[in-house]
Order: sequence, then C-alpha cells, then structure tokens
Amino acid sequence: MLGVKESLGRRGVLGMCAALAVTLFAEPVLAQRAEPCIGASWEMTGPLANTGASLRIAVETALDQINAAGGVLGKPVRLVIYDDVGEPARAVDNARRIGERDNCVIMMGGGRTPNAIALREPLAEMGLPWMGVISAGTTVIEHQNGKNEWMFRISMKDRWVTCYLIDQAKRRSASGRIGMVYEGTAWGQGAVPDLEAAAKSAGVTLVAKETWNLGDQDMSAQMIRLRDAGVDTIILWAVDRKSANMLRSMDRIGYRPRIVSAWGLTTAFAKAVGPLAEGVMVAGTFNWNGPLSPKAQAAFDAMKAKFPDRIHSTTDLEVPSGMANAWDATFVIAEGLKVAGDYDRVKLRDALYRVTYDGIVATYNPAFVRGDQEKMDAILPTAYKLPAFNDGVLKPIEATPYDLRN
Amino acid sequence: MDRAPAARAVDAVLSYLLTGLSVGSVYAMVGLGFYVMWSAAKAVNFNFGDIFMLGAVLTVVQCDLGIRLLPAAALSVLAAACASAAIERAFVRRFNREANAVGWMLTTIAVGTMIESSTTALFGSNPRGLPTPLMERPIRLAGAGIYLQELLLPVALLVVAAGLEFFYRRTVTGRAMRAVAYNRVAAGLVGIDADRITLLAFAVAGSLGGLSGVLIGPVIQVSSTMGAIIGLKGFLVAIIAGIANARGVVIAGLLYGVAEKLIEAYLSTAAPDAIGFSLMVLLLLLFPQGLFGKKEFQKV
Repeated sequence: MLGVKESLGRRGVLGMCAALAVTLFAEPVLAQRAEPCIGASWEMTGPLANTGASLRIAVETALDQINAAGGVLGKPVRLVIYDDVGEPARAVDNARRIGERDNCVIMMGGGRTPNAIALREPLAEMGLPWMGVISAGTTVIEHQNGKNEWMFRISMKDRWVTCYLIDQAKRRSASGRIGMVYEGTAWGQGAVPDLEAAAKSAGVTLVAKETWNLGDQDMSAQMIRLRDAGVDTIILWAVDRKSANMLRSMDRIGYRPRIVSAWGLTTAFAKAVGPLAEGVMVAGTFNWNGPLSPKAQAAFDAMKAKFPDRIHSTTDLEVPSGMANAWDATFVIAEGLKVAGDYDRVKLRDALYRVTYDGIVATYNPAFVRGDQEKMDAILPTAYKLPAFNDGVLKPIEATPYDLRN
Repeated sequence: MDRAPAARAVDAVLSYLLTGLSVGSVYAMVGLGFYVMWSAAKAVNFNFGDIFMLGAVLTVVQCDLGIRLLPAAALSVLAAACASAAIERAFVRRFNREANAVGWMLTTIAVGTMIESSTTALFGSNPRGLPTPLMERPIRLAGAGIYLQELLLPVALLVVAAGLEFFYRRTVTGRAMRAVAYNRVAAGLVGIDADRITLLAFAVAGSLGGLSGVLIGPVIQVSSTMGAIIGLKGFLVAIIAGIANARGVVIAGLLYGVAEKLIEAYLSTAAPDAIGFSLMVLLLLLFPQGLFGKKEFQKV
C-alpha cells in the first residue's frame, strides 16, 4: 500500500515536471504560430478615406483569387480591417488588436507615414511582420537605429522619389529655375531635407521654396513669389485638396509652370479642377490607363467584377499606384507563407527574404534583402513611372504630349 | 507679358487686395450669422461652419442629380436655414434657459462633429468642384487676376448687409428681433414671442451661412471639412468687431481678409493664423466689447 502511494507521488511529481517542461518549451513555439489572416489598419473614414477603400478593393480581390486556387498551405486567408481614421494612436491600437487578439500572421500598412512610424516599436515587441503599400516615408523602413527586422514595403520610398523628381524636373526645366512647393504637414515637411539633398547631389539649386497651412484656401502669395523668382518647373509635394487650390491660384495670376508631383495627387484632383489638371505629372509605381500586361488586365477585370458599383473603368481606380502595390504585396505575402511552410510569424519574416515573384508593378527577385535596411523596400527607382494628366485622365506619359520625346 | 518689377509689385498688391476682399467677405458673412444669432439668443451655434459647409455640399449633390445650379443653390440655402433653426430648437434653446448657461456650447460643438462625420461618410472625403460660369477664366484688373465668382462675394456681402439693415429697421419682424436682442423679458411683456423670434433669427443666420458656402464653394472646392476653419475665423471676426454690431462685423471681416493676404505675402505663410488669433486676444484686452461694440453699463 505504501508502495502504491509512493509510486503515485513519484509519478505525480514526474508528471508535473513533464507538464511544466512542455509548457516552458512549447509556449514560445505556440506564441509564433498565427492565424491565416492579414490584418490591416487603414484610413476607412477621414480625409483620406479613399485610400482605405481603394486598398480594400485590391487586397480583397487578390485574396479571392488566392483562396479560389486553394488558399495558402491548404487554408483560406482572410483580411481583417480596422479603421485608424488617419491617426497614429489608433494605428497602434489596431496593431495590438491584430497582433495579440486576432493573432494574424502579418499586418498590412496604409497611406500615412506617421502611422507607420508609430508602429515601429509595437511591431518589434510583438514580433509581427508588417507590409507597407503606400506610406513612403524613408524612416518607416530605414530605422535610425539600423535595426529594422519586421517592416517591409512594396511601395515608393521618399528618398528615392525625391531623387527621381529632381531628375525629372531638371530634364524638363528650360531655364533651370526649379522651385519646390510642399504642404505644411509631417509628410510635406519631412520631404524637404530629402529634396534639398537630392537637388544638391544633382547640381540643382532650388530657387524658391513655398508651403501652405492645412487651412489655407488661396495660395496667390506663394505663386506670385514663385512667378517673380522665374521658376518654370515646380516639384510639388502635397495632396489633392490644397493642390487643387494651388492650381486655381496659378490660374488667377496667369502663371503656369511645369508641375512634377509626388504621388499625393489622385484622380480626385483632376475631377476637382477639371482642365487645370492638364499636363500635371505625378510620380507613381503603376498606371492602369494604358496598355496592360495580361496579369494586370486580369487584376483589373477581377476588381471590376467584384466591385461593379465602384469600378466601371480604369479611371475609377482612385489610388492607382497604391492599389497595384497592394495587389503585388498580397501575392508576395502568399508566396512568403508557402516558402515558410507554416503560419508562423518568424518563419514568414525569414521567408520574405527568399520570395521571388513576378508582379504587376515589378519583378521581385528577390523581394527583399536581408541585412540591408535600404533593400527592405522591394520597388526600386528603376520601376518608378511619371504619368501625366491628359484630358482629365492620368495616362502613361508616352501617350501624352508631355513626354520629353514629343 | 513681361512687366517691370515695379509694375509687378503693384499687380501683386492689387491681387492681394482683391483676394483679401473676397475671402474677407466670406468671413464677414459668416460673422454676420454669428451676430444675428447672438443678438436674438445671447448664444451662438458653434457648428455654424458646418451649416456653411452644408450649403455648398447640398448644392453639389443636387447638381449631381441634374438640378440646375441656381435652383440647387436656393434650395441649399433654404435647407441650411432649416438646419440652423432645428439646431436652435433642439440643442440651444433647452440648454440656454438659465442666465450664464453654457451647455449650448458643448451641444452645438457635438452636433457639428456629427454633421461633419455624417457628411464625410455620405459625401465622401474627396474635394469636389462646383462649376459655375463665373469660374471659367479669371479676368484681369490692371495686372491682377481675379475670378468673377470672387468679385461676386463683396457684392453679395453689401447686398446682404443692406438687406439686414432694411429688415431690422423697416419690418415688424426685424424690429421684434431688435426688441428681443435689447431686452428679452420686456419684449415678451409687450407680446413678442421671444422663442419664435430666436428660432427665426437662427434660420436667418443659417441662410447667411448656407449662402456663403454656395458662393465660395466654386473657388475653394467643396468638401466635408471646408467649414471648420472658416467658421472659426467668422467667429473671430465677430468677436473682434463686437458681436452685437453688424456694421463692425462687415468692416472687421473685410479688413481681416485683406490683412491675412498681406501677412501671407510679406511676412510668412505660416503667420496669418498666429497673428490673427493673437490680435483677437490683444484687441479683447484693450476693447473687451470689441472694436465697434458698446460698453455695457449696469445701473445699481
């Protein structure tokens, strides 16, 4: 009798030790396992709500195609969207929901750079991979401490965009007198040092720099100063609303320089100002209004079929580059999961460096480079494009009178 | 045409004066709306900027539905008047019964947030154009350019100001409003329904706000957030002038608009708002009743 009790006691202790060991060693493994979902914090309401709506169209359609082909690793992948209203604090809250409550395998970013920057520490803390598709701020990916391990991007990078715009402006300016106009927000002001550095590097002097406040409705004073400085080409770093007012101010004083813009301008800009948008050039990664590759055409047809009320033609794609980026990003994530072989965040993060994929924006071979923060941006400047507004439509510049060859 | 620097400088000043008068007219009209409300109720609608926005947004929506511009504008002004009256009835009156009551401030701000959010959800966040024939191309006055739509604004302001003057002085209802503004209790004692007069005052103010929105919408693009800053500046102008003096509000609005443009042109584009609000504080310290307001005397 005493022996049985002793056995039970010893067995009990051994059993408890085994259970404790399983808990201690299994717990980290379980924490990295994740659900087959992509979490997103996008601006679904607020001043840039069209970006959230556009990204949703692209990603949902891409996931439909992936799931129709059997999903990834035998499981359908779902999209979980939270609205951050364009506010960094909400983006952080949403990231916590995605990472801790929903336990998604990856998070996708939205349009605003300040939101992405606010996520740096929470993402590292949770070990949650993040894929940006619009927010182009340089420091989103190139962290000041040099230790970005979790944030990837399939989008433009502001430091590369500035060099690209300076080059385009230099080639188009007849007098060499180039000016800069930027909005008084974190995005606009953040571009100034990069633009100045790019100009210096290209041997360009920016003869005038003008800005405006968010509440300003008339920019006549700024435009008069640019005109009087002899500026014939402007590099514009602003979004639709105030850029439309800028064009009106230019029209009012009879001043019309060439305008080479960062990608803050969307089709909403052309709809607001009508013929004044003619000839405005906007940097981007993709243009849907022109000859499309079979893959891009299939992507558009799928979006049109899924959202027939919103999309009738390619001109209805309000955020063209962002949507193309998001499309490619979704498929790159799927490929990454296949390479990883598991819904595991660390494995997915490591697998993303081994993904090769032929997308609609670019060929990613590989998409990202380990050990080089700069190359955690998948789209290189060689893939950048400069379409122009022509007859109210943003077209490939080769199809407009504004190509340098015309 | 290449003009000499001196001529260009004159053109620039003329341009600033014209655009300043144009935007100042909007501030003055919005300020007049605050004047009308304050006179009748000793309270204002802090979401008046959203009433201004509704005038423009509803015009765009009606034009999208195929309604012609002028009838659409008229209907929008009427809708803005009704909205303002409804806000008075539901959110100002019941919180303004007591002397020194301030609940109406919070409720009108809350309602404004709801109006803006709902409009963003329904109208969208993108700015929309409101095409009019007066915006097709600018005209040249000396060397300065201005749209006819912008020249319409000071003209509209003068018409509105003259119309208000006539209304207050020559009509029974206008005199009743003045009576309520002077002494609400005494007006009630002589048979004036002060609550109805206040409701009507808010409707008149709403029509002014809606009209301002319709007139400026084609110039600055129409959006759900277009009213916030303009509403605030209209209130600032009313306070600087002395909210109980209509002529003062008109003068202050025009001067503020011109000053804003000149500060942007010759000091800094970042300075106008900082200087404007600092000026308001300074003027209130020196003239607590506003530049054109009358000192109130209490007989003991």
